[in-house]
Amino acid sequence: MPSTHDWINNPLDVVEGMFAASQSNPKSGWEAKVVEFFKDRLKEKDAHTWVPSLNDVPLHYLKPNSLVKFRCLIQDMFDPEFFMGAYETVDPSTNAKVLRCGRYKDVTECGVDFNSRNTVTAERQTFYCVPIPGENPWFSLILSHSYACSSQARVVPSTSYAPTRQKRTEDGQMCASQGHTEQHGNGDCKRQETEAPSSQTASASHLDLNFPLPGEKGPSCLVKVYEDWDSFKLNDTLEVFGILSVSPALSALADEKDASSSILDPTESMETAEEQRVHSPPASLVPRLHMLYARPLPHNNPLLPSATLEDNSAFLSSTLSEMASVRAELLTYLTHVLLGDALAAEYLILHLISNVYARRDVLPLGKFAMNLSGCPAAALYTQRFYQIIQQLVPSSFYLGMSLQNMNQMRLVPKKDYVANRLVSGALQLARNTFLFLDETHLEQGQLDTTGVRNVTALGNLISWQKVDYDFNYHQMEFPCNINVLIASEGRSLLPSDCQIHLQSQVSPPNMEEYLSNIQLHPQTSSQLNKFRIYLSVARQLDYSISDEMTKSVEDDFVDMRKDDPQSVSAEDLHRMLVVARLLSLSLGQTSLTRDSWLRAKHIDMLRRSRMEQHQCVNGNEP
Amino acid sequence: RCFSMDVATTTAENAGEMVKDELAEKCQKLFQAFLEEFQTGDGEVKYVREAEELIRPERNTLLVSFTDLEGFNQELATTIQEEYYRVYPFLCRAVRNFARDHGNVPLNKEFYVALEDLPTRHKIRELSSMRIGSLVRISGQVVRTHPVHPELVSGTFLCMDCQGMIKDVPQQFKYSPPTICRNPVCNNRARFHLDTHKSKFIDFQKVRIQETQAELPRGSIPRSLEVVLRAEAVETAQAGDRCDFTGTLIVVPDVSQLRTPGVRAETSTRVAGGPQGYDSEGVRGLKALGVRELSYRLAFLACNVAPTNPRFGGKELREEEQTAESIKSQMTEKEWEKVFEMSQDKNLYHNLCTSLFPTIHGNDEVKRGILLMLFGGVPKTTMEGTSLRGDVNVCIVGDPSTAKSQFLKHVEEFSPRAVYTSGKASTAAGLTAAVVRDEESNEFVIEAGALMLADNGVCCIDEFDKMDLKDQVAIHEAMEQQTISITKAGVKATLNARTSILAAANPVGGRYDRSKSLKQNVNLTAPIMSRFDLFFILVDDCNEVTDYAIARRIVDLHSRIEESVDRLYTLDEIRRYLLFARQFKPKISSESEEFIVEQYKRLRQRDSSGGVSKSAWRITVRQLESMIRLSEGMARMHCCDEVQPKHVKEAFRLLNKSIIRVETPDINLEQEDEMEEEEEEQQEVNGVNGHVNGVNGHVNGINGHTNGETGSQPKPSLRLSFTEYRRISNLLVLHLRRAEEEEELRKSAVVNWYLKEIESEIDSEEDLVNKKGLIEKVLHRLVHYDHILIELSQAGLKGSEINVFVSHRCAPCFRPVAAHAEEPDPGSVSVFADTCLPRCLPVQQDGHTEEHPATEQHPATEQHPATEHSRHPH
Repeated sequence: MPSTHDWINNPLDVVEGMFAASQSNPKSGWEAKVVEFFKDRLKEKDAHTWVPSLNDVPLHYLKPNSLVKFRCLIQDMFDPEFFMGAYETVDPSTNAKVLRCGRYKDVTECGVDFNSRNTVTAERQTFYCVPIPGENPWFSLILSHSYACSSQARVVPSTSYAPTRQKRTEDGQMCASQGHTEQHGNGDCKRQETEAPSSQTASASHLDLNFPLPGEKGPSCLVKVYEDWDSFKLNDTLEVFGILSVSPALSALADEKDASSSILDPTESMETAEEQRVHSPPASLVPRLHMLYARPLPHNNPLLPSATLEDNSAFLSSTLSEMASVRAELLTYLTHVLLGDALAAEYLILHLISNVYARRDVLPLGKFAMNLSGCPAAALYTQRFYQIIQQLVPSSFYLGMSLQNMNQMRLVPKKDYVANRLVSGALQLARNTFLFLDETHLEQGQLDTTGVRNVTALGNLISWQKVDYDFNYHQMEFPCNINVLIASEGRSLLPSDCQIHLQSQVSPPNMEEYLSNIQLHPQTSSQLNKFRIYLSVARQLDYSISDEMTKSVEDDFVDMRKDDPQSVSAEDLHRMLVVARLLSLSLGQTSLTRDSWLRAKHIDMLRRSRMEQHQCVNGNEP
Repeated sequence: RCFSMDVATTTAENAGEMVKDELAEKCQKLFQAFLEEFQTGDGEVKYVREAEELIRPERNTLLVSFTDLEGFNQELATTIQEEYYRVYPFLCRAVRNFARDHGNVPLNKEFYVALEDLPTRHKIRELSSMRIGSLVRISGQVVRTHPVHPELVSGTFLCMDCQGMIKDVPQQFKYSPPTICRNPVCNNRARFHLDTHKSKFIDFQKVRIQETQAELPRGSIPRSLEVVLRAEAVETAQAGDRCDFTGTLIVVPDVSQLRTPGVRAETSTRVAGGPQGYDSEGVRGLKALGVRELSYRLAFLACNVAPTNPRFGGKELREEEQTAESIKSQMTEKEWEKVFEMSQDKNLYHNLCTSLFPTIHGNDEVKRGILLMLFGGVPKTTMEGTSLRGDVNVCIVGDPSTAKSQFLKHVEEFSPRAVYTSGKASTAAGLTAAVVRDEESNEFVIEAGALMLADNGVCCIDEFDKMDLKDQVAIHEAMEQQTISITKAGVKATLNARTSILAAANPVGGRYDRSKSLKQNVNLTAPIMSRFDLFFILVDDCNEVTDYAIARRIVDLHSRIEESVDRLYTLDEIRRYLLFARQFKPKISSESEEFIVEQYKRLRQRDSSGGVSKSAWRITVRQLESMIRLSEGMARMHCCDEVQPKHVKEAFRLLNKSIIRVETPDINLEQEDEMEEEEEEQQEVNGVNGHVNGVNGHVNGINGHTNGETGSQPKPSLRLSFTEYRRISNLLVLHLRRAEEEEELRKSAVVNWYLKEIESEIDSEEDLVNKKGLIEKVLHRLVHYDHILIELSQAGLKGSEINVFVSHRCAPCFRPVAAHAEEPDPGSVSVFADTCLPRCLPVQQDGHTEEHPATEQHPATEQHPATEHSRHPH
């Protein structure tokens, strides 16, 4: 059996070995054995940390045909591809025939015998994958830290790259301020989007890597899937372990194709030039990754153990026991951030741990889009606020709802039939991404057609947790699970599940100073990490309501209606149940108690009484 | 790179030599025999006439039905199906011979065969390399078309060295000059010139199709497939069409080892390149070394294109032109059985409603209305050529947080051609159509709006009232004419928008104000309002029983992890059933016709009697049309070819609920008596035929109704505000319920009890008399008009009374009660008890009648969440 180094450095040797061994027994199912082998290897303690990651290590530091991992989102799915699973080559000098394996490879060996009867045709599926959109800087810092530690443990010459770049730190901030400071914001971002990592800028300038969010960087990848591809859905987040293929031959072959397709014969190529550019980009820019094994990422938080919570009871129980205390700390911190408004802070916690846990028919359950109204327009409060949240959640996106942005940005992914690909939009986000809509940037003016569409898309996203992708001849709904927070001065023009009006405890004169003080109090990283773990864990807990509580909630509802039928509607009950659920989870309780229910009712009552004080003035009806 | 199908093992020296393919030649003979001999039912040789048509210069393709082929020779059909690619050239040769035999066609003209009516259809996702070469039918949506090109099928080349002519070099997919000059003394292998005048070309077009939404697994990107069209098949498919393609899968770039042995034999009859041909193609660089990409793609070579669905704006097959038989033939045995089973379901109406909207509580009337909308009426064209729409438009008006949007979302989810849009966020252009300048070509193109996208489907418009006034006007045309006209930027177009509209609107004041009419409550213009067949009001009403039911439903949703949606029929089953049932074009029986006339007169009568003076509606011929459409929808649902009176009855009931009772103005207690009487009178005078003609004069009655209703205003009536009326009736119902355990109550006892209750409010003798009169009127109304209570006379209930009861307030119990309506047993209180009533209470009344609280639900309003009978808290 190959040593550790070998299965990471030369995984194809393992594959070839098993392929050769299977030749005596054609029904051996060697393909499954290969997958099994790598799965087993990766299960070993920390084994997956030894595998270099495409996310953190620049492509040119990675050894071609080695095992790499890639944390990504499935952005597009291409048509199936057929390939020679096995083929024969003929040595021209000796005429000796050798059977070769075509799996996990892009190009053949020399001298293929196209008339061989031993050729096996197989099918594989190509996914276009991009790094998870909106991943926050702290994320890669933590990962690279752990990576640096583990890479010391072994020597892999070609991958001994210790990442030093903190590429996204500035990006995040730049984008955050962009909506406000640069009115032409989006145009700029679009241009950046097409920029590839520095070394390849020149060759890549014409290639759009199709990242959902403007200003994103990082490798995108063509992932070739050999098994069970129907189990993957668009926008799934995965950690793919696969064989890296960056053979320059691929690009060379593509160039030849370009040349030949210019010949007069229209039937020569089934693909147009645009399609080819998109479907076979240079491997140096968009490497191919032949998937051996993929792990779905339920939380995408590097601080949490990768196994599901149920499988890791030790971690779970230790976290649960600390839950209440961490919550109290977080509440204090957020109260401070929210200008001393404890109720808003409480709701913010609920919002941050909300999650669409089920869909009943058309209804997404568990969503909790929040409208934080009464945000001070002054002093870039919303940006500061976003930066703080950014420190807490794994991935997020700041969308300044300026007219400019609304009229120009591509929010909804659209199918481009010329290039035959799905052109991404800012709403193509991974699950549990925190989407911050800053309505304080909105000014009076005209929304054009795109603008109207964008606002509609945002509204649908909030109400139904679905985005209608534009397929030109029809629209197609893709369910999503995005936490939307709208910051606005008055009530937002977008719908929300709950509106809370910020009641500042800070007097305006010292606002500036107050805000800068927030910035000047960076939480110690251990405390931040505690918050991060807390939020991710709370979101993943199971929850139930006992029959007894069911009855009591029903009675409660009827009683409330009896007193004043106008006070509580079915919608309110819906929301209170969501609040009660989130409140319980935020305290680490996995079933509803009488106390939590009463507390949920209480804070909802407080919130609503506040709303009555700030009756809506801009005519946006409930 | 893309070396052609013709690359084969034969060497240049024996190029053109035929390798016999006996199977294919046998096929050719049999196929020719089929063309010569196949007769239709009436003894005509079917394909002779069609072959004669091929003389025309623009024709070159003979369309052959695969079903005919199967009927003629099953073995031949099977061979063609399995070895399609291999035998195709031979079939074409058979057509050529056949055409020559039957007409004077030019000798060098090429002919092709197109096959249709292939029984099975495959999904794009099911196509694998296994199917390469065999005949299949696939369907998909055309997403891209390329320009038509001439493709060289047979080239004549001039040798540049010896000037010799090399004729008829077959070509396939690829420009292939001869590998060596045929002149034995000339060794030219490279320098040839194509003589285009002496070569044969064929029209060639590439289109790309994409999986239809229905076939797509959730959460996946639709797959696409390149389709190659030739000869007469080019230009038959346009982007946006959904088409069926018959043909075979081929491989691009062609890789020779993928060929089946049979195919190899076939292709070897063409000019050969040989192994050297590979090099002679001028392959350079890496490829010369034999390195190549491992992957290749599949494409589809189609010989025939047929539209699957009505085409966007085209005059092709409308869905309505399909027959029930053709729909049936597209279903599997099992699917058909299910459809049949559903059509036999006695409770189909109810079951469809609950299966369609499992998560929406109550609101049964709305569900019924939407269901009938989905079935739709029959579009008609009058003798004058005016077309009358068959689509039913529904509007839901309701308080915030009643399930309006959910209804719309459900329909969008369910209906294959539905578009969901919000009036607030839609411009007229977004909804109807826009003329936009194409960024690349700078040409004006028409961009379809939501209404057009939902052609033959449903357009769900949320926040309809928020729509701009001029946008409302824009869709006005679409609603009635079912077309959209654009005159903009020099583009003039009329486009089809045969769409049902399901709209939701918020009341003007945020909440529905009962004291005002519907019109005052909704911010819609009268012309627009009149275009809706049904209006439903959802009022957030407070009532212990419904509250419990609502609470239960919601808590259930949130507490149960497992799927809490239970449906009797799956959405797919309902979709198939709808498709099937919509093929029926029920005619109105004379009996129903009379009935319709009768009901219409009744409505008109009631309308003009001032009783509903605040009514939003003047009853006009539009309501008559609506009634017909709804009746037809009802008949379709039961797969009936004829509209029967029972269908009209339900249509009338819905219409009645929706348009007349929507407003709950002050209760005019006196008025009701009169109305009842009038109605009864009306019923006796029935049967005036030709009445419909007279009605036409009132079309515009909606706006300026000057109908003289002054004369009918009676004495100052005893009025009661709606809330007061409700308060009293609630009180009574509660009392009756509480008293249930005791003895039966007489009417007088109830009256006395009530007077005692309000003792404190009564000041004088006169007051007492007034109140007594009032309570009696209220009771009367509750019994006779709202049918909240039922008077049980010992003499027995008249069947008609039960029916009236059924048709009113107690929505959820419609079905069970109707089922028992024939039972005349007055004592059968339990009939009502186990259907919908929380409690039933026999009340002994003075005049040997019993009074009976039918339900305590919302005495005078409908359309709010109502109780589910199964979930009762008591």
